[in-house]
Amino acid sequence: MLFGKYINKFYKKYWYLFLIGIVTLIVIDYVQTLIPESLGQIVDMIQGSTAPKEKEVMDLVFKVVMVAFIMAIGRVIWRLALLSAAARIQLGLRQDMFRKSQRLSQTYLHNNSVGNILNWFTTDVEAVDDLMGWGTIMLVDAIFMSVLVIIKLINVHWVLGIIVIAPMILVVVWGSLVEKFMSNAWDRSQKANDDLYDFIQENITGIRVIKAFVKEVQQLHAFSKVAWKNREVNIKFARLSVLFDVLIEITLGIITTLILLFGGYFVWMSFKNEPLFGIKIDSGQLITITGYFTMLIWPMIALGQIFSMRSRAKTSLGRITSYLNSPEDIVEPENPVVLDNAKGEITFNDLSFAYPENDTDCLKHISLTIKAGESIGVVGKLGCGKTTLVNSLARLYNVEKGKILIDGVDIMDMSLVSLRKALAYVPQDNFLFSDIIKNNIGFGNMDFTLEEIREGASFACVADDIEGFEDRYETKVGERGVTLSGGQKQRVSIARAFLMNAPIMIMDDSVSAVDIKTEESILKNIKEKRAGKTTILVASRVSTVSSLDRIIVLNEGEIEAFDTHENLLKISPTYQKMVMLQALEGERG
Amino acid sequence: MDEEKMSKLFGSKKMSLWVIFGRTFGYIKSEIFFFILAIIILVINVSLNMILPLVMKEFTNTVDFAKSGATFQTILYLGLGYAAITIVNQGFTYLQSMILQRSGQKIIYRLRNDVFNHVEQMSVNQLNLMPVGSLVTRVAWYTSTMSDLFTNTLISILRNILTIVGVSVMMVVISPKLFLIMMIFLVIVFVVSFFFSRYVKNVFRQERAANSDFTTFLNESLSGEKIIQLFRQEKRKEMEFDEKNETIRSLRMKAIRAFAVYRPFVSFLYYLSIAATFFFAFRFELGAGDVVAFYLLLSNFFSPIEALADSLNNLTRAHTSCERLYNLLDVKPDVLDKPDAIDVKEFKGEIEFRNVYFAYEKENWILQDVSFHILPGQTAAFVGATGAGKTTILSLIVRNYEPQKGQILIDGINVKDIKITSLRRGIGQMLQDVFLFSGTIRSNITLHDDDSYSDNDVMQVCEYVNADKFINKLDGGLNATIIERGENLSTGQRQLLSFARTVLAKPQILILDEATANIDTETESLIQDSLNKMKNIGTMLIVAHRLSTIQHADKIIVLQQGKVMEMGTHQELLKQKGMYHKLYMLQFDPKHKF
Repeated sequence: MLFGKYINKFYKKYWYLFLIGIVTLIVIDYVQTLIPESLGQIVDMIQGSTAPKEKEVMDLVFKVVMVAFIMAIGRVIWRLALLSAAARIQLGLRQDMFRKSQRLSQTYLHNNSVGNILNWFTTDVEAVDDLMGWGTIMLVDAIFMSVLVIIKLINVHWVLGIIVIAPMILVVVWGSLVEKFMSNAWDRSQKANDDLYDFIQENITGIRVIKAFVKEVQQLHAFSKVAWKNREVNIKFARLSVLFDVLIEITLGIITTLILLFGGYFVWMSFKNEPLFGIKIDSGQLITITGYFTMLIWPMIALGQIFSMRSRAKTSLGRITSYLNSPEDIVEPENPVVLDNAKGEITFNDLSFAYPENDTDCLKHISLTIKAGESIGVVGKLGCGKTTLVNSLARLYNVEKGKILIDGVDIMDMSLVSLRKALAYVPQDNFLFSDIIKNNIGFGNMDFTLEEIREGASFACVADDIEGFEDRYETKVGERGVTLSGGQKQRVSIARAFLMNAPIMIMDDSVSAVDIKTEESILKNIKEKRAGKTTILVASRVSTVSSLDRIIVLNEGEIEAFDTHENLLKISPTYQKMVMLQALEGERG
Repeated sequence: MDEEKMSKLFGSKKMSLWVIFGRTFGYIKSEIFFFILAIIILVINVSLNMILPLVMKEFTNTVDFAKSGATFQTILYLGLGYAAITIVNQGFTYLQSMILQRSGQKIIYRLRNDVFNHVEQMSVNQLNLMPVGSLVTRVAWYTSTMSDLFTNTLISILRNILTIVGVSVMMVVISPKLFLIMMIFLVIVFVVSFFFSRYVKNVFRQERAANSDFTTFLNESLSGEKIIQLFRQEKRKEMEFDEKNETIRSLRMKAIRAFAVYRPFVSFLYYLSIAATFFFAFRFELGAGDVVAFYLLLSNFFSPIEALADSLNNLTRAHTSCERLYNLLDVKPDVLDKPDAIDVKEFKGEIEFRNVYFAYEKENWILQDVSFHILPGQTAAFVGATGAGKTTILSLIVRNYEPQKGQILIDGINVKDIKITSLRRGIGQMLQDVFLFSGTIRSNITLHDDDSYSDNDVMQVCEYVNADKFINKLDGGLNATIIERGENLSTGQRQLLSFARTVLAKPQILILDEATANIDTETESLIQDSLNKMKNIGTMLIVAHRLSTIQHADKIIVLQQGKVMEMGTHQELLKQKGMYHKLYMLQFDPKHKF
């Protein structure tokens, strides 16, 4: 059992499942103790001086059959109740977590690797749900079973009871010690496995270097060392776990021996009519006691395990809680301005920007106005702030210093939906989903007709490519679009944004992998089909932007110039330099 | 690459169980003695386990002092006997587990070395076809699954069969009639278990598939969160997520329900069998000890069958792992030494391409009829647009690939006739994307070849390539830690380390695929300076992105779409007024001078 802000509501929701499960468990625990009793009774009947009556035997057999029946039904019930409660908690927890992920900002996603977040969704949720299901079962079982059995033991013979129970406490301590010890050893062995894994991963990734320098033999030696360590650690771990198992078995064997010896002695003394402690005990009762003892073993070992299971789940829940608690920084303003049918005028008003983990501004005092319907290019050296400029326009990061206005409205005051409706974005990384091309192009609205999708594709000059695929628009693109070439990915992602038909379209270096002819056609399409709408094109090549209305030249986060191609050739040194350098790249220019 | 080879690479080529068994046996042959020893101990173990109920039987009979007429002394012997058997038995268990563990780990260790070595020998083009992840899985995990097959799965199958046989024998010894009745229960559990394990295996498979689908979806959503938010698709993605989440839950429930029927059913039969024992105890006139012994034996009767059904599933899993592993081991490297390949100790550095054609895929020529001749000690530069084939030329020289037509000669010898190792030893490659390994500066320069080079050698080289200044500033100098992929160094620093790596190997021919990344001006000038020095080492081939690097080259080769368009020195090419001239004018036209 585990409590916390994000978990309590599930208890409220599924309390009946927990109740049913726990009550059944308790009933079963009680019923189960009847079995060793019956064994003792049958031993007594057989060893009794008079032959037992048929009815007595049948009663006993009937009792065992009833127990079997009740236990079967009960076990079905608690499994279904408690395990399905756990499964539902898993479902609910993941649902909450996914809803949270939809509100995460880029800052959060940059600071936390996807791998980590995935782990919270999988391993950590599973640890919590394991405790909810099996943890509950083990706990209830361990507590009630041991209490019941101990009461019964004491009832039969309190001295023998103590002889059984006292060493069992050792088993509990033992169990929790083993768990602690083993989980440390397990961590070490996992680490050795991780090291091995990392080594292989890194070396296979860098195998070209190894081959280029003919160092295969040296790498094999280095690998052998890591693999050898892995071997040693794993053997050590195995030795520990086998040793613990063996020792616990031996302890249990010795307790059994104690029962046999002391119990035998008590029966012997009773037989000689000199009962010790004044309690007479016969062989049947002794056999019952050994039966009780076997019933105690499992709950006692479980008791030791529950502690570490709980502490694992607690750490996991801690991680989940802090994820769900993480602040959301891109949030709807308090009084959001709703802007329908934006015209597409953009004003940057003394905008400065620094990434959260960085002190230096990547954008410094940007002030400019883009008129509605203009097509604008953005160029500059690597790392000069081009992407940052368009990212802040899309409010992927908050604007903190200065302002960005769309149609005169500060984007920080605008409702997120309005802002995003006003913008269509083609990101630099061209992220595609592993889905068919049709759905990737129509990502923004699943109601697009094939006709519209085709139109988008032809705008992005990717229609011919798609027609060339065997399944055309139904072609699956693979994870992140791996089955497409870089240029095709870029164009699919242009088509995706184009279909949004937004007043402002941002293309962040979106034609870098496209050949010159196609680039020209796309530029022509922008002129024709986006006439009257604002389009911003970030580019690394001058050829991409030279035909646009105006071009922003950025230099180390500042605007060096904002003018037409012709004028920039005269006034902007960065622009001039780029024209020359890029001409050298090949036949372009 | 033909289909047969592809299916081998991806491990989809089917192999029969016997082939797999035979090959796997080859790997465990050296451990066969220990394996047999473990089996012998296993037999002892199971037998001792069978004796314990017998002791309990004797005890029950003895403790009825009225009938047995025994004294407490017998009890004492029985008790001590019980303890002794337990201790001896557990001692054997320990021994057996450790023998198997040791042998298993030994097999894994050797196998991993073999597979790793094999992967290292594969050709670059083959490695390009395989995702790194799948190779890692093969080296790291499939090897252990394979050894598990012998040290774990087979042993546990054996143990369970022995246990069933042992329990049966004991039951027959105590009461053959009652055993026959127990057989009814056994057969029912047997049949139910096998059908169940089949069903559950399917459910588990679906569950695994659903889980991996879930993770893929989640991974994708998290990575593409920006797009989802910008395109306002949060609601749709939530619905998709809920659907997948629900699929997982319903499959889990399927498994839970299946177990909720199966497990209680088996335990129901177990308790029924106890009831049956009680019922028939009187009809067959069993002693109290017999009943107790039966009671104890029954607790060991059904669980081995459940375990056996489980083991069958493990067997199929081991089968696939082995299949994939052997498929990989069967892949022969594409680029191999000829049997009579020459070992060249030192190259003079003359390089000639004679009408070389190359394509990754049929007829889709990346290089067409490329010919050029570079004399020892010369510096040659390749210029052209991306995709013109510059980098391909370099990979052909070091035989990462083989040309389809034409010849490549070094010092007049066809590269195909030179041993790959001696070829690559003579050619220092500085690749565009510098790959650094986690470790130290030193281990990245020597590439773990620590015996051949002293600290002094390494430092000298670092000075030569201008890397000494930044290395000395680092905490620990040559022993400074480098994290994965060298992310704690700048691009320029990484470049300098790659130079150092190359110079240390004392090549006679240098290949440089210049990086295009932006580098700060200070490092840039260090790199240029060090490049100028390196030109004196021997023949140098450069794929250039910065024109300043190549102006002084002895030969500039201009490529377009895989064809040589122009060739000559800087001056000659300028006079031709062709492509190079156009490029040059753009950069050095006084109007655009910067």
